[in-house]
Amino acid sequence: MKKPMISGDTITIPSSQEYLMDVDIFIEGILRGYGADESTIADIAISVSELVNNAICHGNKSSGEKDVRISIHRSGKKISITILDEGEGFNPDEIDDPLADENLLKEAGRGIFIVRSLMDSVKISEDNSGTAITITKSLS
Amino acid sequence: MRLSDREQDGVVVLEPKGKIMGGPDASLLHDKLYEFIEQDKKKVVIDLSQVDWMNSTGLGILISGYTTLRNTNGELKLANVTEKIQSLLTITKLVTVFEAYDTVDEAVKSFK
Repeated sequence: MKKPMISGDTITIPSSQEYLMDVDIFIEGILRGYGADESTIADIAISVSELVNNAICHGNKSSGEKDVRISIHRSGKKISITILDEGEGFNPDEIDDPLADENLLKEAGRGIFIVRSLMDSVKISEDNSGTAITITKSLS
Repeated sequence: MRLSDREQDGVVVLEPKGKIMGGPDASLLHDKLYEFIEQDKKKVVIDLSQVDWMNSTGLGILISGYTTLRNTNGELKLANVTEKIQSLLTITKLVTVFEAYDTVDEAVKSFK
């Protein structure tokens, strides 16, 4: 049975939501070490949880054979976090507008919208091995 | 996330604590909400005072409870919405959906 593995500023988890809390503890711990304020920590933690959820459920289709890797880096006041899955990627432009009246009461479909609202930048890249989403946020 | 519940003047008050981020934790709130709906207890207040933050999964659970209760002539209201969750409700426009009160007492009284 695979388990979360931590190496430096990277945590790798099997594709199961039961490991979301492991990722959160890892990320929040590092952010506190950087001296981030609690509001910034929450914004980043929410965004990471959204993207890891997506990577597990949509990217890796919850396959126990596939992993999700989360890496965090700091450059000056800028925090970058990359979430890498082994899936086929997605087109964010194909996601319905969560603010449209007809979508307001849908239970899902807000994740990427929330991440874009909370983070300074969101960059999506794909190659044959999977999809990487990098988010950045400046420490205030 | 941990979850406790109680009843106040015939109104169910659910008290989640911690973070609502999906996976097994989030299903706790979902299952408890539906447990009360099945018992025909359809006046529900969710006290968010001890929720550090929630993501879109948490918002989805609130919406699911709101629509299910509304469709069975019940109501779900929020109390003690923290600044972080209020911000999420605002950017997602869900602030226009949920009735929210500053305290649980005010939310419970609003059912009368």
